[in-house]
Amino acid sequence: MSLPRADYDPRRVCVNPCPNLTLGVGRNKRTAGVYLAGALFAIAVWTFLDAAILSAHAKPAHDTEPVLVHVTFVDWVPGICSLLGMLVVNLIDKDRVRGEDGFGDSKAVWRARLFLFISFALMAGGLAGSVCVLILKYILNDYPEMYKYYGYCNVSQNIGFMLSAVVLWISQSSSGEYEYNLTI
Amino acid sequence: MAAAGLKTVILLSFVLAVGFLLIILSCALWSNWLPLLVALTFVLAPLPNALFSHCGSEEFSTLEDGSGPLDLGRFITAIVVVTGFALPLVLAHSDIIRPAACAMSIIGGGLVYGTILAYSAAFKQDDSEFD
Repeated sequence: MSLPRADYDPRRVCVNPCPNLTLGVGRNKRTAGVYLAGALFAIAVWTFLDAAILSAHAKPAHDTEPVLVHVTFVDWVPGICSLLGMLVVNLIDKDRVRGEDGFGDSKAVWRARLFLFISFALMAGGLAGSVCVLILKYILNDYPEMYKYYGYCNVSQNIGFMLSAVVLWISQSSSGEYEYNLTI
Repeated sequence: MAAAGLKTVILLSFVLAVGFLLIILSCALWSNWLPLLVALTFVLAPLPNALFSHCGSEEFSTLEDGSGPLDLGRFITAIVVVTGFALPLVLAHSDIIRPAACAMSIIGGGLVYGTILAYSAAFKQDDSEFD
């Protein structure tokens, strides 16, 4: 006999609800969360740009051997995917996704969920792609550690984009005025 | 308010001048003018908040936070501020500027941005009287 689900909420998506995270800053929670998200975004962008600038100005250790590998367009693709995904996640109206009846038509809810799925898939694909680039381009070719740094930067860029999107989502959906929360 | 305001203005302008001095010195000592971008970044940093704050205040005058344009302004502001600190670090990491120039431009940029923040915080009451 299982326990009765006392706090069952029919709006939620998962069986085990995610913990209701709050940033705990109090009244200015939303403002601080948005600032934190922007800072995380910029840190992510600059982490990758660091690798790109370092690669553009790389000098070989010895004069005889050339620089083995550079940051090319392949390294930029996962970041662009994550960026597009993050853009679409934040462009979706969050009231649509909750899907309450009598608020718009059901097609709009369906489309909003589809686009939300596509954008989350783009972000996850960007993260997976950056890990792919790290493994296939840098680790399998057995480059020295100064070149593997480019791959690590790529992965941390995508993690930063994802963290930024998560912080932005949490801080925007925990609006203090009406206290409705989107429980995923 | 007038005497304290005058002292505040003199102090803040002094700090601003020191900040710009540090940034320009970090460029001129090694004749590499890339750290001057830091000054430009920090001067532009309060601009998104200033622009988007007028967007949000029309419809939701009682609700001070909770509109999209205000959040966008804060997001862009945070991006620009972190850019101002990250740019010299990245440039120093790839040996384009010296580490000393990096430290000087970061301190100078922090002084400039702190001046702007302190100025807007100190004289916020004066603006709200005319609204």
